[in-house]
Amino acid sequence: MGRLVLRRLGSTVPVLLLVTAGVFLLLHLTPGDPIDVMMAESVDVTVKENLRRELGLDRPLYVQYATWMGRLLKADLGRSIRNGEPVIENVSRRLRPSLELALCAMAISLMIAFPLGIVCAVRRNTPIDRAGATFAVVGICMPNFLLALLLIFLFGVTLRWLPISGYTDPLDEPWNGLRSLALPAVTLGLALAAVVTRTLRSSLLEALAEDYVRTARAKGLSEWRVIWSHALKNALIPVVTVLGLQLGTLIGGAVITEYVFALPGVGRLVVDAVFARDYPLVQGVVLLIAVGFIVSNLIVDVLYGWIDPRIRSR
Amino acid sequence: MAGSIRGSDLAEHAASLERPASPLRARRWNVVRRAARARLAPFGAAVMLVAVLVALTAPLLAPYDPLAQNLGNTLARPGRAHLLGTDSVGRDVLSRVIWGTRVSLLAGLVAVAIAVIAGSLFGIVAGYCGGRIDGLVMRLMDAVLSFPPLVLALALGAVLGAGLVGVLIALGVVYTPTFARLMRGQVLAIIARDFVEAARALGAPGWRIAWRHVVPNAINPIIVQASLSVAFAILAEAALSFLGLGIQPPQASWGSMINAGRGYLQQAPWIVFGPGAALFVTVVGLNFVGDAVRDALDPRTRG
Repeated sequence: MGRLVLRRLGSTVPVLLLVTAGVFLLLHLTPGDPIDVMMAESVDVTVKENLRRELGLDRPLYVQYATWMGRLLKADLGRSIRNGEPVIENVSRRLRPSLELALCAMAISLMIAFPLGIVCAVRRNTPIDRAGATFAVVGICMPNFLLALLLIFLFGVTLRWLPISGYTDPLDEPWNGLRSLALPAVTLGLALAAVVTRTLRSSLLEALAEDYVRTARAKGLSEWRVIWSHALKNALIPVVTVLGLQLGTLIGGAVITEYVFALPGVGRLVVDAVFARDYPLVQGVVLLIAVGFIVSNLIVDVLYGWIDPRIRSR
Repeated sequence: MAGSIRGSDLAEHAASLERPASPLRARRWNVVRRAARARLAPFGAAVMLVAVLVALTAPLLAPYDPLAQNLGNTLARPGRAHLLGTDSVGRDVLSRVIWGTRVSLLAGLVAVAIAVIAGSLFGIVAGYCGGRIDGLVMRLMDAVLSFPPLVLALALGAVLGAGLVGVLIALGVVYTPTFARLMRGQVLAIIARDFVEAARALGAPGWRIAWRHVVPNAINPIIVQASLSVAFAILAEAALSFLGLGIQPPQASWGSMINAGRGYLQQAPWIVFGPGAALFVTVVGLNFVGDAVRDALDPRTRG
């Protein structure tokens, strides 16, 4: 187990280096002078020159990279050029809504996917199964910004049950907080639910065809027990894999969901920074998201090895 | 009778000797037949055909100029004059949806084409050269994969500037590693086989082996992945233009139309639901086509 962790960590280091280089070069990919792109033409020349010096754009590229990396190692990701605050503070202020959204979305998707996936597998080729398959296709093909607007139209505009934008922290006001997160969480969770339903159905069908299930049935166990304590356990391995693979989609989905519902999360911060042409902020946030993504993938890999002993030895 | 069957067999055999391509062609037809047999493929193919036709004939098909504003007739309900209603500046939603089809299909195809070409080249180089080059190229691909796709596309789109070209390049970059990994795996499997060894023994140069022997044998999984990717590239382009990157107003694209209609959900939901339905149906249809292509070409899913 320890070796698996070490091996994965080892292969992560070069990738991390390339990721930082990529994020660093992001600013230099801009066609034309990044300073001119970031600031309006009317801005005073001395202000522009000051910013150029502050960002180190007047020095050779390798010096810039070395300084930037040196600061990174001290956890200094630079400052936003719009509000002058350090990137870290900008992000940490926005982290809570994003994590709450992700948690709620995950909970909703598992609450839908588990019962549905199991029922579809057990009642294979019945109308329920076909309904589940339809749900999966719709969930996978539905763009989440469109789903968000459908939900807003239905529950916000027509029925007026739920707020359609804004954020209340559920830790301050549990009821209003959950209400403000309800539509965003469903928006984000539904696509994930669709993927998990499909995976769980097929992996459970596979597990139910195994010999140990026949043995369990022959022992006279109830069908419920056969599914719950024998088949489901083995069917979960592909589900964990898929959850890991969907992380990237989930983060991208969160960006759009936060944008539509005006949630003050990290995803919204990325969009705002991009459109404010606040490149140091874009660099910092994108780097943090990438690192978070790499670390979560690492955790999923290790989790996977923990669930399935066959992987550890490989 | 027996004689005639044998006779026709012989004739066929002789014909196949004359035209060595014919068994291959027959196999191709099997692939198409298998694809068509898949349950939902006909629907997907129909959607794809309609979308392509609409995109090609947009100037003829659109009842109005997609950019013509009519401030005397804003937010008009769908009716005989405007089948999908009008938007906040009185433009015909249907005409804009029709013109937007061009943008979406073009974006899906071009982004995937960029990824297929770049990814295949990287994959061939990595698989064929091996060693340090392989390590470097694949770590580079891993680095691209360590960004959530939409975040990477957003960041790249931001530095490349708003506009369709920036988004196409950004999406191309995002999808490149998938094809590079796929191609590298194929190349590694193929160069270990006897016919490559034989070609090498005959003194064929490396590029010729790659082009004549490796690529044709490695192409199937690439086709499958490409056909599955187009639908997602269309979704991604719509998402980026929804956020404000991609083709710029007043030009019509489904994503930007949906974003523009966001503020009018109460008075004029058709501004959102017209392009929304077009986007959803196209993506579902292309997904079915992609599934059918996979079922037809991937031996593992053959039933």
